[in-house]
Amino acid sequence: MSDDVMAEIHRDYLFNLVLKGERDDGRAFDEFRDISIETGVAGMAEGSALVTLGDTQILVGIKIQPGEPFPDTPDVGVIITNAELIPMASPEYEAGPPREGAIEIARVVDRGIRESKAIDLEKLCMIEGEKVWIIFIDIHVLNNGGNIIDAASIGSIAALLNTTLPAERYGLGEDSPLPVRDIPIAITAIEFGGELILDPSLEEGKLAGTVYTVITNSDNGISGMQKSGVEPLTIDQVMRVVDMAGTAAAKIREKFLEV
Amino acid sequence: MSEKPEHFIIDGKRLDGRRVDELRSVKIKLSPLDRADGSCYIEWGRNKIMAAVYGPRELHPRHRQNMTKAVVQYRYNMAAFSVSDRIRPGHSRRSIEISKVGRDAFEYVVFTKFFPKTAIDVFIEVLQADAGTRTAGINAASLALADAGIPMRGLVSACAVGKVDGEIVLDLMKEEDNFGEADVPVAMAAGGKITHLQMDGHLTRDEFYEALKLAKIGCDKVYKLQRQALIEKYSGDYAENGEDAITQSEGDADE
Amino acid sequence: MERNIAIPGDVVSDNIKMSGSGTYVHGDTVRASVYGLLNVGERYISVIPLAGKYIPCASDRVIGIITEVVYSNWIVDINSPYEGLLHISQYPRRIDSENMSKYLKVGDCILTMVASVDAGMKVELTLREKELRVLSNGRIVTINPTKMPRVIGRNGSMIRLLKSEIGCNMFVGQNGRIWINGSDDCIDLAIQTVKYIEDNAHTPGLTERVQAFLKAKEKTRYGKVHESRNDEE
Repeated sequence: MSDDVMAEIHRDYLFNLVLKGERDDGRAFDEFRDISIETGVAGMAEGSALVTLGDTQILVGIKIQPGEPFPDTPDVGVIITNAELIPMASPEYEAGPPREGAIEIARVVDRGIRESKAIDLEKLCMIEGEKVWIIFIDIHVLNNGGNIIDAASIGSIAALLNTTLPAERYGLGEDSPLPVRDIPIAITAIEFGGELILDPSLEEGKLAGTVYTVITNSDNGISGMQKSGVEPLTIDQVMRVVDMAGTAAAKIREKFLEV
Repeated sequence: MSEKPEHFIIDGKRLDGRRVDELRSVKIKLSPLDRADGSCYIEWGRNKIMAAVYGPRELHPRHRQNMTKAVVQYRYNMAAFSVSDRIRPGHSRRSIEISKVGRDAFEYVVFTKFFPKTAIDVFIEVLQADAGTRTAGINAASLALADAGIPMRGLVSACAVGKVDGEIVLDLMKEEDNFGEADVPVAMAAGGKITHLQMDGHLTRDEFYEALKLAKIGCDKVYKLQRQALIEKYSGDYAENGEDAITQSEGDADE
Repeated sequence: MERNIAIPGDVVSDNIKMSGSGTYVHGDTVRASVYGLLNVGERYISVIPLAGKYIPCASDRVIGIITEVVYSNWIVDINSPYEGLLHISQYPRRIDSENMSKYLKVGDCILTMVASVDAGMKVELTLREKELRVLSNGRIVTINPTKMPRVIGRNGSMIRLLKSEIGCNMFVGQNGRIWINGSDDCIDLAIQTVKYIEDNAHTPGLTERVQAFLKAKEKTRYGKVHESRNDEE
């Protein structure tokens, strides 16, 4: 209940901080919270990653099984991305089928992975028009501490990099690593008080007039974007976020070398 | 699915080396989630389960409110990737039933009358499943409720007993669960009061009695582990040490 | 070491007359009903929980946030499973029901008092008491309401310490919300100190620890002032 209405004096306080160039947790506007990535945490999954981004905790699990390709793309594998904002993760989430918030998260993450061609889907075709590998990316939010999209994107690609094609289980040859050839990373900014702020905390996210996500690849190319929220952005603001996103994503990508 | 082993017990040892009255290894971490009012992460053998409690909080829709007590709501859910073959997210008939009996396991212990019109929500997320998720979930829920400061008569402790190779054994592992002759999940409050009991398979009356006695021993063991976890949260410099559960518990095998 | 932690179901006494808050009587024993710190008094044994929600009681002073304006009532979030109702007649002066939002609108904070709580947990608030008012500046920090007694201290000793050492104005609501006003630095320090108390609420010798905490902070604070002076020169 207390999450519905933010006290006016608190909103003012946060607004005034931004005007001074500061944030409540002391970060710079383009600074991310601490990120940790742990892979292989869900042993029944073909690949998995637990990502913590500040207070946000997200577990992504990958399941893979053989199935039929889509009729319009008979010679490539299938990616199905699903996000669950389970009621455990926040007092504001309710049980039930995914609503627009969860669907948007899943689709933005999916877009980044699909459009970056991070997974070599052609290699996932076994018999054209009949049998391909279907990859399920399940995003399980455990604790919503803000900026779920970026954490989900980091978790998804981390889990995919950690994924094995379970061919033996289905009598389809030997297990092999999933062919992943890029690391798309989503970076989200909010606009608040005329400023652009990366990696919004839960509270900052609530203040945001607009939320803008840019997904970049290893070559700094852009493979996906999403603007959400009612406030408009200027071209200048959009380009600033693109630049900030490229830099921030490159830094996060370095983390993957450590895993 | 793996094939049925020829023997489950060889020279008094089970497939994973346990004796018949031994639990799998258990690791417990309290309060891993900061948004929830209380939470607990448990690793029980190869099961990995997160429990969170919210409440007492306003219950919607209003017509579900009880004017004299809090309504306990229990949601058991398996992550899509928690088992070999992906399961469709959302409710299944199995999860609805487990949620109901899970709630029933706590009705007796929670002092619901202190909080009329509210809901106490318990969420169980199975992240990795390997037989015994409902009992492990109850154990984690019990600690998450305590962690949330919910008044209770006492903790609830749960374990399963079953029968393999004609013997009654404690805490079935996956193979024993799949191919064994019986599975009896049990939860108990203080004084051996049974708050949850299910059974499938085949047991004689005497075997069932033996199973229940073993379940009591098992629940007592679980209670000790739960108690230890609660004591440890506030011993030493816990406050400076609130890191994330899943990362931590990996390395803390001999905690 | 167990440090007097009680767990629900623990037998804490065999004298049922000693049963205090956070305990219940079972047969001829007193048992803990909550997970918390065992507190053995002369007449009662109680268990102080370390978590839990604020349950309103008449005459509690609380800090509320207006969430809705309905006909002749403001609905107020009081950080509790139960919402508070502030009737138009409980506003300090007579106002017209057409104009309620002009005086208190959604998002406004009030320092209010619980006037009554009925059996159906209908919570009525008032602003018609000394000290009660609308809060238009300062900041609010929220901690677990069960830890409020430690922020207040015995007979208000802790809160007096904070006010005098930090030099800020504070009001501690029973519902876990604390209003703090003063210079930005003072507010920051006060919030840090309150959080410190919350994190260490289960430890003994809290007053000394807080004094040490403030002393350590003071050094860095003056250090900073010094630096900035140097910068100006």
